[in-house]
Amino acid sequence: MFRLRRGLLILCCWLLFWGGAGFAKALAQTIYLDINNANFQKIPIAVPDFKYMSSDQSELSRKMADLLRNDLNISGVFRCLDPKGFLQDPQKMSMEASQINFQAWKQLGADFLVGASFQVQGNTLRLDGRLFDATGARLVGSPKSYGGDVGAWRQMVHAFANDILLMVTGQAGVFNTKIAYTQKVGGAKEIFECDFDGSDPVQLTHDNSIDLSPVWSPDGRRIAYVSYRDGSPKIYVLNVATRATRLLCGYPGMDITPAWRPGGGELAVALSKGESQDLYLVNSSGGIIRKLNVGFGSSISVSPNWSPDGSKLAYVSNESGGPQIYILDLSSGQKRRLTYSGKYNTSPAWSPKGDWIAYCAQGGGSFNIYVIRPDGSDNHALTHGGRNEAPRWSPDGRMIVYSGDYAIRIMDANGTGNWRLMRNSGGGQGLPDWSPRLNGN
Amino acid sequence: MKIRQVFYTLLMIFAVVAMNACACHKKPVPPPPGYGPESGQNGFSNQSGGNVGDRWKRLGITTEAQKREFLDSAAAFENQDVYFDYNSYTLSEPAKKLLDDKIAFLHKYPSVSVTIQGNCDERGTEEYNLALGQKRAEAAKDYIMHSGGGNFHLNTVSYGKERPVATGHDEAAWAKNRRDHFALKY
Repeated sequence: MFRLRRGLLILCCWLLFWGGAGFAKALAQTIYLDINNANFQKIPIAVPDFKYMSSDQSELSRKMADLLRNDLNISGVFRCLDPKGFLQDPQKMSMEASQINFQAWKQLGADFLVGASFQVQGNTLRLDGRLFDATGARLVGSPKSYGGDVGAWRQMVHAFANDILLMVTGQAGVFNTKIAYTQKVGGAKEIFECDFDGSDPVQLTHDNSIDLSPVWSPDGRRIAYVSYRDGSPKIYVLNVATRATRLLCGYPGMDITPAWRPGGGELAVALSKGESQDLYLVNSSGGIIRKLNVGFGSSISVSPNWSPDGSKLAYVSNESGGPQIYILDLSSGQKRRLTYSGKYNTSPAWSPKGDWIAYCAQGGGSFNIYVIRPDGSDNHALTHGGRNEAPRWSPDGRMIVYSGDYAIRIMDANGTGNWRLMRNSGGGQGLPDWSPRLNGN
Repeated sequence: MKIRQVFYTLLMIFAVVAMNACACHKKPVPPPPGYGPESGQNGFSNQSGGNVGDRWKRLGITTEAQKREFLDSAAAFENQDVYFDYNSYTLSEPAKKLLDDKIAFLHKYPSVSVTIQGNCDERGTEEYNLALGQKRAEAAKDYIMHSGGGNFHLNTVSYGKERPVATGHDEAAWAKNRRDHFALKY
């Protein structure tokens, strides 16, 4: 799979380029909707099956359209209309705005319409996609084109979904991202990755041990994780492309919960270091830069998570009894308690914009995902009942991945929408982490 | 890079072979490999290479009766876990009493080495439970070191909630899982 993607060359080119005036016109037709508004309603969009220009490809046509619908539905921005209600045969649909009956699409409730066609020649696939504004009866942005191996059709559809989101919201989607997580394999736990939508799960480690806490490096090429493969928990780094692993922290005792500092090679980790358990800053070779001294007496300090600017750490401490979320300012060394409601709050995750911290709270026998402002205001639950743990944000901050009853789930960052990834996997999953946007897709 | 890959591959093959060798010796259902040192009884029966007589002598054992006594008390040492309250790593009075028995054993056989394995029930979150299990293991280690006064060979490892001994989802099961387990090597 990986080699396949490497071999893939996606061309995203401006097919229609009408000179300077036309370019300005195309820009003017880009629509940026304020999707962060609290009253934002999901945009109804029609995605007919893709038109095939070569021999009968109805199966691939449907699969590609289904994937695009799924991407757009998960994005939290769009709501795809049921294609069963579409009147027109997609194979006869025109790709030119002037020949599309937008009135008919409006009557079906569509604000936007996708027109996509593809050609298979030998082993190569070329996908052309357009987005139309049904109300304005016009093309949005520019036509898009993608090419590569037939086997990489998913990546091409994800790239088109990214472009649709970019044209409508001004920000690309996260459809080419991955999610790393732990998965039970027999009596062991290994690190896996899957596409953001749960497709294509791949086992990355074969430690035949307990592997925990995978975290993507800021460049998306490595995953730091914890493994018991040498008997006690130590921190390792996995090169995602080669699958080679190396020991990062092998200090005596317990070395757990790595967190890459944004923009740098440093990591925050929790080490027990001969019983002076604390958070430590280590370099990319695992060497200790300094002890962060957040512990108090024999307290527990664990699960550090960086603010997006790398200046602060949210972490878990039990210095006031049960576990609570604290924030450490690295330059001043000041720490303050963030969470005061409930007796058991763990697993902090700072949003990419820095405006929220998601965490896991225990209450009334269940565990739920909460979000709170870094100043302690606006604390509220996103899930309600069951066993919901280990939240992490998508790189655009629009979604949260978490473990819900030992299955990987994603939801909109406001708690609406909720998808279980890998429906048929039988569970046994935990500790997800969302990759940054990956290059080369 | 290549050399490192080959090295790790060999290391893993070696580890798997070694684990299988351990597993086929004893328990019908071996724990997954990589779960830390095996229990002392396993460790003992695995020592096929060395001079067994010397090993006993190092423990101060010269007769069959002494050997039987050692094995009995070693089994008791390993089978008696120390239990904790929910979310706590404070040693209760019964826990301290149990540890006093273990100290007596260690005074008698100071050359054995002990791995104290801290465990948690399933309720907490995974990462916090790892830290909690470590504290539980260290609580017992600190007590043995301070009360025992001896120069013992003690290691700690936390399994968090990864290795429950009881699989139920009620307080009875949880109480059994909030424990320090002790594994001997001699």
